[in-house]
Amino acid sequence: MDRPAVALEGLSFSYPGGAAGVADVDLAIRAGEMLVCIGPSGCGKTTLLRLVAGFLKPHAGRVAIAGRDVTGADARSRQCGIVFQSYALFPHMSVRDNVAYPLRVRGVPASGRAARAAKMLDLVGLAALADRLPAALSGGQQQRVALARALVFEPAALLLDEPLSALDAATRVAMRDEIRRVQRERNIATLLITHDQDEALSLADRIAVMRDGRIVQVGTPQAIYDHPASGFVATFVGRANVIEATASGPDRVDTPLGTLATPPHGLALGAAMSILVRPERVEPAADGGGGDNLIEVAIEQDKFFGATRALVAKAGNGRLAIETASREAVRRVRIPRDAIQFLDGKRKET
Amino acid sequence: MTAAAPVGPRFTRWVTLLYLGYLAAPIVLLFVGSFGQLWLNTLLPTGFTGRWYAEVTADPSFRRAFASSLTVAGLTVLLCLVVGLPLAYAVFRADRPGVRALARVIYQLPVALPALVLAFGFIRVFSSDALPWLGSIWLLVAGHLVLGLPYFLQAVVADMQRLDLRLLETAAESLGASGWQRFFQIVLPSLRHSILAGLIVVAALSIGEFQFSNLVAGFLNRTYPVVLLQAFYGATGFACAATVVLLVLALAASVAGAVATGGAMRPAGAH
Repeated sequence: MDRPAVALEGLSFSYPGGAAGVADVDLAIRAGEMLVCIGPSGCGKTTLLRLVAGFLKPHAGRVAIAGRDVTGADARSRQCGIVFQSYALFPHMSVRDNVAYPLRVRGVPASGRAARAAKMLDLVGLAALADRLPAALSGGQQQRVALARALVFEPAALLLDEPLSALDAATRVAMRDEIRRVQRERNIATLLITHDQDEALSLADRIAVMRDGRIVQVGTPQAIYDHPASGFVATFVGRANVIEATASGPDRVDTPLGTLATPPHGLALGAAMSILVRPERVEPAADGGGGDNLIEVAIEQDKFFGATRALVAKAGNGRLAIETASREAVRRVRIPRDAIQFLDGKRKET
Repeated sequence: MTAAAPVGPRFTRWVTLLYLGYLAAPIVLLFVGSFGQLWLNTLLPTGFTGRWYAEVTADPSFRRAFASSLTVAGLTVLLCLVVGLPLAYAVFRADRPGVRALARVIYQLPVALPALVLAFGFIRVFSSDALPWLGSIWLLVAGHLVLGLPYFLQAVVADMQRLDLRLLETAAESLGASGWQRFFQIVLPSLRHSILAGLIVVAALSIGEFQFSNLVAGFLNRTYPVVLLQAFYGATGFACAATVVLLVLALAASVAGAVATGGAMRPAGAH
């Protein structure tokens, strides 16, 4: 594998109050890769970004950018393009001057600045608004300016701190694609921080899930979704039924829902475990007929989302979340054997 | 929910008009009086003359006081910029909220305190043999600085918070700007409206200040309001004309202040 664009080794930081630091983080962002760091608020993901940016100095560990150890270097010399949650555009400068600012402080002559700023504004589709002041732009447009400004000086890495959280839902989806397009076009190693799973799943080359200052799983969106390492990852990324189970045979478990046929779990009889079933893998079943894992359910909640319905049903002594496109009444469901996964919290995937 | 209709539109209009009349009456009367020949026990003066203005502008003590006032105001504004800007920045950037709150209480103190108290303190300290500076123009400037600084700090610190200046600086730093570049290219230009508005308030305060100046000013650097008091022992027309001069200055300051503040209140960064 190539040398990573950003490499974090054993990175630790704690705030004086003791809250929301990071502990022993190892993470590498490959050249041209979009790595999305996701976690609930207070999990330390913003701290992680600030450590990479150089706004915070780690208490232990190393930060390397483009192969250079920058652990002790200040933010100025790290050459990271950063897009802030509230954009942080300079209010007294035109869009063009904002984008050209990194070049101005680097002593690029005025003509060269203007040309490069114009090229970046072209890339983000804002060439026509170059003379406006930031206050005269919409949120999405300000976001594009911030993106152009963060990229114009050809930084070694791009850091995005919850870049879409201040936008309305419609703009957010459009900006998501825009960020992805620009990131691909510039082929720049990118760390994006978010708490939004849709954002993470749709944007990322790889996702790093954080909890309590630690990275609990790193993998492609599909790997994270299909093979979550723990109940936490399963419930945080996507909806999930995490069910307590006891082994009652080599491929059979007892659960509050009843006895389920599963893939072989390799655990001793009577061993406790957690199993995962994604709601969209639960299939409504017709009355009558037989087979494995058929469960009678009583619907308690039924939310209609157009394309799908999200149901919560009482099943046996437990509850089951179900997602289905069916418009029919649901009285009986089937959990396919291969829809059942085992969570042990120890598995690590890349 | 629909917006409630304003309470008694006619009532509020009348209150506003009455108040404006009340505010304008003395000013209008002073203006009228400054052109009147004789004004004794009548509602309005009799006759028309420009001689009172000629006398005021010819009076050496008024000329000196006028120059003195402008000098003191100019120096106060300059000092306010040099001292106030770093102070505002320090208050804004203080890490602990408790420190910020305490700083605010301390720098707002002169607003609540009568200028008289400050003057007594100055007289007590600066008439001693160790610091015999009573009567110097710098002492006057120092006093006006203390009286004006709260208003300057209030304007500038509020603007720093409104702009989220800390984040702008962080962004500039990440884009490669050095400390000096941040100060001259980001901090100063983005605060220019509130700095200007604050300084105009300080200048206006300095020009109109009486209590402190009356007690602390030396005979040769008495400011305009101090000398103005003497005018009321003479002809009414002369007193009116002398006051109108101060009024015009005050009016100019408040118009300039309103224009500058208008700039600061507009959405961040509008020209």
